[in-house]
Amino acid sequence: MTGMAMVLRGRSWLVTLAALLVLVAVNGVLQPNLFTGNVLKSNLTVFLPLVLVAIGQTYVVLAGDIDLSVGAIIALVNVVTVAVINAVGNGVGAVLLGVTAGLLTGIVSGLFNGFLVAVMRFQPIVTTFATGIIFSGMALWLLPTAGLPVPAVYWRTYSGSLLGLPVTLWIFALALLLVAILVRRPFLTHLAAVGGSRTGAFQTGLPVARIRIQGYVLAGLFSAFASLCLTGETASGDPLMGRMLALSSISAVVLGGTALAGGSGSAFGSVLGALVLGMIGNVIFFAGLPFEYQTLVQGLITLAALAGGILVARR
Amino acid sequence: MPPALKAHGVTKQFDAVVALSNGALTVEHGEIHALLGANGCGKSTLCKIIAGTVLRNGGSIEVDGAPLVPKGPADSEAAGIALFYQELSLVPQLTVAENIYLGHEPRTAAGFIDHSKLQADANALLEQFAAVAGSGLALHSLVARLSPDQRQIVEILKVLARRPRLIIFDEATAALDRRQVEFFFRMLRALKAQGVSMIFISHRLDEVFEICDRITVMRNGETVATFSTAETDMNRVVHAMVGEMAEHLHPPHVERPPGEAPRLIVEHASGQRLRDVSLMLWPGEILGLGGLQGQGQSALLRGLFGADPLASGTVSLGNMGLRLRKPADAVHHGIAYISGDRGRDAALHGRSIFENIAAASFIRERRVLVWPIRLAERFRQAAASLNTRYPGLEEPIGSLSGGNQQKIFIARWLATKPSVLLLDDPTKGIDLAAKADFFDLVRGLAAEGTSILFYSSEDAELLGLCHRILVFNGGAISAELSGQALTALNLTGAAYGNAA
Amino acid sequence: MNRIKTLLAEPLVLASIAILVLLAAGELLSPGFARGDQITRLLTVAAILGIAAAGQSLVVIGGREGIDLSVGALISLGALTAGNVMSGSNGAILPAVLAAGGVTFAIGIVNGLGVTALRIPPLVMTLGMMGVIQGGLVVLSRGAPSGNAAPMLMSFVNQPLLLGLPGILFVWALIAVAMWFLLRRTSFGYAVYAMGSNERAAALTGMPTSLLRTLLYGLSGLFAGLTGVCVIGYTGNSFISVGDQYVLPSIIAVVIGGVSLAGGAGNYFGVMLGAIALTLLQSVLTTLQLEFWGRQIIFGAVLLGLMLLYGRQKQLRV
Repeated sequence: MTGMAMVLRGRSWLVTLAALLVLVAVNGVLQPNLFTGNVLKSNLTVFLPLVLVAIGQTYVVLAGDIDLSVGAIIALVNVVTVAVINAVGNGVGAVLLGVTAGLLTGIVSGLFNGFLVAVMRFQPIVTTFATGIIFSGMALWLLPTAGLPVPAVYWRTYSGSLLGLPVTLWIFALALLLVAILVRRPFLTHLAAVGGSRTGAFQTGLPVARIRIQGYVLAGLFSAFASLCLTGETASGDPLMGRMLALSSISAVVLGGTALAGGSGSAFGSVLGALVLGMIGNVIFFAGLPFEYQTLVQGLITLAALAGGILVARR
Repeated sequence: MPPALKAHGVTKQFDAVVALSNGALTVEHGEIHALLGANGCGKSTLCKIIAGTVLRNGGSIEVDGAPLVPKGPADSEAAGIALFYQELSLVPQLTVAENIYLGHEPRTAAGFIDHSKLQADANALLEQFAAVAGSGLALHSLVARLSPDQRQIVEILKVLARRPRLIIFDEATAALDRRQVEFFFRMLRALKAQGVSMIFISHRLDEVFEICDRITVMRNGETVATFSTAETDMNRVVHAMVGEMAEHLHPPHVERPPGEAPRLIVEHASGQRLRDVSLMLWPGEILGLGGLQGQGQSALLRGLFGADPLASGTVSLGNMGLRLRKPADAVHHGIAYISGDRGRDAALHGRSIFENIAAASFIRERRVLVWPIRLAERFRQAAASLNTRYPGLEEPIGSLSGGNQQKIFIARWLATKPSVLLLDDPTKGIDLAAKADFFDLVRGLAAEGTSILFYSSEDAELLGLCHRILVFNGGAISAELSGQALTALNLTGAAYGNAA
Repeated sequence: MNRIKTLLAEPLVLASIAILVLLAAGELLSPGFARGDQITRLLTVAAILGIAAAGQSLVVIGGREGIDLSVGALISLGALTAGNVMSGSNGAILPAVLAAGGVTFAIGIVNGLGVTALRIPPLVMTLGMMGVIQGGLVVLSRGAPSGNAAPMLMSFVNQPLLLGLPGILFVWALIAVAMWFLLRRTSFGYAVYAMGSNERAAALTGMPTSLLRTLLYGLSGLFAGLTGVCVIGYTGNSFISVGDQYVLPSIIAVVIGGVSLAGGAGNYFGVMLGAIALTLLQSVLTTLQLEFWGRQIIFGAVLLGLMLLYGRQKQLRV
């Protein structure tokens, strides 16, 4: 099987792609300036965090687990990053140190989740629900209220351009590259094997616990990426950041054709799923739906996506 | 040169049950060696010990003259031993090629999966086997989309990809048709020419005689004989499996009580593991379902109970046609099902003995309100009729031994006063005393007019209890034994497809 | 020694000890903590949590990773519905209770259908439903607090009714009896334990497991709706996120009370003790002037600790 076929495994992502194209078309009609550079860039800025979390969530779900703490990890990473930058001083070096601390926070959070689930054999759903509460408690502890700005060099870089292209586009491209690299590693096959048939993977001699932990670490790492992007957007610390992203990331993963039971799916599908969710938000906004209805419609679409995704996967 | 494998005096005990008292087996290099014996003779246990998935209690195993003491499957694999899993170890969501090389993927220098090498290796492997696999088996198709026989082929390829020196094939041909078996054998001969040794377990004696060099027979946990295939015949092998004693042991033969009309009539029942089964069951009759394990006996019982509904066929009780779509349908018609897999199918873990007995009666009686004190006496009687020893109805089910637990689950169904009792290998893992009680009970129920369909993986149980035995092979009834024909020899012969 | 160990592993004993220790700690930290009127106040708060936890315990006992994360949003919805139907009039209390319970029961049934017919994992289904209800609440209330409690309801919840105890405590006692009757004196209850303990075995005795499970989620919704009525009685009016604070405590109370997250074990009396213990813990933490974040971390840690005691999964074997 070729690499390309590996990437596009399964067919359900095709439906998602079609939905995305339709949404783009509708959005284009409602908002004629959609295809101008600035509007595209601002859209990408809005969508990027969910795209990144959804990629991370995919690896956990592929292994047959779930991570409900990604939203809280985002808040914690944001707060740690901002706190470290402010503590060290607001120079470029401080920013780099803060970003490193943020990434480490994401990885350690993932390790903690993975340890509890794969080694201690706690039930993944309730465990990550509980660790999520602990992570967000820690974020509130470090930074009780939103505030504490990041230095201009941080958000100017994030909203700026590199070689004529927006930095957000570079990040998006790098994320896709990372996904492409992972697709070609044996690790991804092993992840899917663990999710598809845990006993089969065990009988074959795969280190099941280690593989599941690696999935959680990836989720933590991608959540950290998402958090750093959100920080570039809001330019400040916010202990409540990313609260809705756990559920949205699961929806994006399901919309992208990854089975919640594990074993099949792809991170590229999740990227499409995340973009679809983002475009739905756009269309609702530009369709002139009253503000109050937006949460409801988005909630209904999320639920419908979950139900539909599961029904499609079962066929 | 030392033999490829030499096992000697191997013993294994599971709790109180001795599974293996003296397992011995010698396999030469490049030899295909059959391991035969009736159900429960210990052949599977011996194979699992060699493959490292079960740890032995005593005895010695040597591979190429070097002692082997595996602590897990990895140790045996390192010694070049591969076990072909009867229970599939495949991941349905992965492709054929990915499954074959799972955990052993060829990598490029950068650590990526080397897809071209994977492709080439898999192709080369598949080419050896192309004729068997047929044109339908594409390397990039998902295992979930394959038919059972194709999956079996992938499982075989997965074993071969690890380049073992000794392969244990446990019922590897079960899902293959005759043409595929021939190609499979061709491949075995090619492996043999390369010096690979094989242990071959099959329920088809003709296959054994076609492919194997020697045959080792086990009985009651012991190795009893080794034959050279060229110098023996099927009858002698079957005799060895049954044993001198059993051969002359005719069960106390009882005629079923003369019945007016059949109570249960099954016509052309088919399902995933069932091919066109028809039978009649009279009131007071104990009808045995014989044959080797997994030949459709359980599928029939579960189908008749509505647990895994039959795909086609008709079932009638008395003169009434039944629609058995879910267990409740069967329960309301007075059909009861007792499984030998208590932990999975019957035990309400952590719940009281009372609740475990009462469960089915509530459904049968369409009960809404429950007054435990008023019901207790009834359930106490149901349990007492089975000689069950238990501390009290409120104690948790886990406080009982396996045998007494099974009695509780039997009491659960007796309390519903069933007219048809489906027994699915019900004595698995219970001790001899409990078994004896159980047989008395079944005889008693039959004498009172209950119709009983009885599947057991132990031939002696069937012979000791049944009025008639239907022998299953590959999902269909291959023979019916009754009257003077009810002998161990006939039963084993029929199970192995050897016309008695 | 061994007997003490097994006794301590008994959730009811553990919860009772926790209650006594917390009471003593509270009294030590702030004299008067364990006074009669304080305890009545505390029991009132515990009753509201306890009623929400009644529904939660049903879905957890029913097994297959049963959990209802939508209780918080359903409580808010119940409070909003009741408040708007009552709008301060004593005569409309009964219709308000019926309306709140009816709406939340129906939504609970939808949860149940998602879990049984579509086989969506309960946590994901109810989390998704939570989002939908919250969106619906925004539409219904247009963001502003609306509806208010009838005076009679407020005094029923807050003022002494009989023997110096507020009416809500009698309702809680009534619910306790109802839960006991449902679980221990009807075949429905026996079937709930059976399928929570071993769904396959329960189905093999002919129990209609999908139907029962759907009903359990409906009941969880119903109890959340009733909790909503109590909440609006307690606070006087409602806002759209008033129920959110009950989600996590309802789960923890259930687990402290000895209901295994694996299903099939536990009873409502344990859950009541769990609700009281948790309310005490909250109160002690408040006395300690521990901030929100500290309480969050402690709650999360308590939940993880309880998982260690009761919630581990089987090891992989060949």
